[in-house]
Amino acid sequence: MTSTHPDAGTTDTTSTSRPSSTQAPDGRKAPARDGRRGKAHRAGKIAPWALLSPAMTVLLLMTVAPAIYLVWSSLRNDTLLGAGGQFVGLRNYQDALTNPAVLKSLLITGAFVLVAVTVEMLLGLLLAVPLAAQSRSNNLAAALMLLPFAVTPAVSAMMFKELLNPNYGWIDYYMGALGLPAHVEWLSNSGTAWLALIGLDVWQWTPFVALILMAGMQSLPKEPLEAAAIDGASTWQSFRHITLPMLAPFLAIALTLRTIQAFKTFDAFKILTGGGPGASTEIINLGIYRVALQSFRIGAASALAMVLLILLSLLVPLLLRAVGRNADPEEA
Amino acid sequence: MSTVAAPRRAVSRRHPASVAGRVLLWAWLLAALVPLVFMVSTSLKPSGIAKALPPKWLFTPTLEHYQSVLSGGAGTSVGFDRLLFNSFAVTVGSTLLTVVLAVPAAYALSMRSFGPRKGISSWILSTYMFPPIVAVIPIFVFAGKLGLVDKYPVLIVPYAAFNLPIAVWILRSSILQIPYEIQESAMVDGATRFVTLRRIILPLLVPSIATVAILSAILSWNEFLFALSLTRSAAKTSPVGIQEFTGMYGTDWGKLTAAATVIVAPILVMTLILRRRIVSGLTFGAVK
Repeated sequence: MTSTHPDAGTTDTTSTSRPSSTQAPDGRKAPARDGRRGKAHRAGKIAPWALLSPAMTVLLLMTVAPAIYLVWSSLRNDTLLGAGGQFVGLRNYQDALTNPAVLKSLLITGAFVLVAVTVEMLLGLLLAVPLAAQSRSNNLAAALMLLPFAVTPAVSAMMFKELLNPNYGWIDYYMGALGLPAHVEWLSNSGTAWLALIGLDVWQWTPFVALILMAGMQSLPKEPLEAAAIDGASTWQSFRHITLPMLAPFLAIALTLRTIQAFKTFDAFKILTGGGPGASTEIINLGIYRVALQSFRIGAASALAMVLLILLSLLVPLLLRAVGRNADPEEA
Repeated sequence: MSTVAAPRRAVSRRHPASVAGRVLLWAWLLAALVPLVFMVSTSLKPSGIAKALPPKWLFTPTLEHYQSVLSGGAGTSVGFDRLLFNSFAVTVGSTLLTVVLAVPAAYALSMRSFGPRKGISSWILSTYMFPPIVAVIPIFVFAGKLGLVDKYPVLIVPYAAFNLPIAVWILRSSILQIPYEIQESAMVDGATRFVTLRRIILPLLVPSIATVAILSAILSWNEFLFALSLTRSAAKTSPVGIQEFTGMYGTDWGKLTAAATVIVAPILVMTLILRRRIVSGLTFGAVK
């Protein structure tokens, strides 16, 4: 990094003498001194914006600008194939929200998020309890726990697809060996396809929940539990009335992040079922992808995307409360 | 207190609920490893027995699939070595961009004299909600018009943008944890913001920057939707390319699993290095 800052040259010498001065006078206005006050004050106002602007530009370009574009394009019937190009008002929204296929897609998206995240939260909590005990074997367990969560989602979907193969997949073979139904066409029936998709999501993401809750449990004070034990509380009672309430912020963090991530799920569905059989597993992300990037109906896809964006925006306050407040050292 | 706590712990480890918990934990870990065991073991099996049922557990391991996959010989329309190189280039590019953008931004957001810092931090966090499928539509349209489809920047810039919320939040809370007096005394001595950042903050921030870099690398390496939508061949990345190993008439398991192992291995290693920091990082530092 070269010193491109205009002040860098003049101040280099002073900054090297920094260890000699240890007294910190009343902080907030520290940098302003005598004649330099005006300049320093103005620099203090501009500097943060200058430092922020590159990151803000990229973020605005990749989130706010697309959102503005979508508002505009959702009111038009543009396609990438040349047709359309007119302003159609709210017709795209009307079409989307009266189309039973779209409504079903929204519904199954919600159902997927609800079921997958619920299972992950419950299982994650059940796994976090034994994992939180400090022991040597648990160091190994925590490392092993991380593994599925580290696998590239596209790769894990490919592996599940092969494991579920009705002819030579391992799952099918070992189910048959245990006397369970064999040669199940997992991905050809909507019921079993859903089971596979939720199974994959649970496999990949339960560790994330479990490790958040494990870290949470390990950070809780021991005294209340010890006091309860002296008072004769049962294991279940202390868990239910002491551990669980104290764990609430961590449960909120895991729940919020997993819900948002689950709404963004794409890879697993695209690879494992592609939305099939029929359209029975076509969550809204896949629907948007198909309309925009395979049918090139940009206007119609924009309206769908706006609907998803508005729905997800409802989760922002939750994100700011559950994650933002706990992640911010200034709040402490 | 210890005389009370010690016997209690001894009892509670043998409590039926505690035993059941540990059984569940290890049963889960065992089951969860199956896809990984499948992936690694099949990649080492000679072609003839890859799909044998019952699965063969004793065999002479071979690296033939790795050789064939890494030499770009088989399976995908774009050689797998090329896919890996693209993944690597995009990952390095977006990781560097993330760090370069996030460090100054995080520093600005830690300045106590900067009024809007809380609002802007919250806004940056809230962009984590933004679904990539929504951004992909306009980026697809404009990349097409600007001739950027199938070029590295069309992946690098969005990846950096989507990594920024996590990066900025991790770095910002690390800066805030540096005692403010250190910065103050430097500035009393006449150091500018820039010098303070470079000489004082940056050296103390190295571990957090490493965490941010590794997290960004993992997220970029794994990304699928943008890579699928915005590349054709020249910039196609390995998570997209690996789909091509499944053919119409069956899949060559040896090659597929060897390719899968090569994709996953670096991520797995980085994850294990980060261990606890990875969970802390992916929760924006809300979990320590």
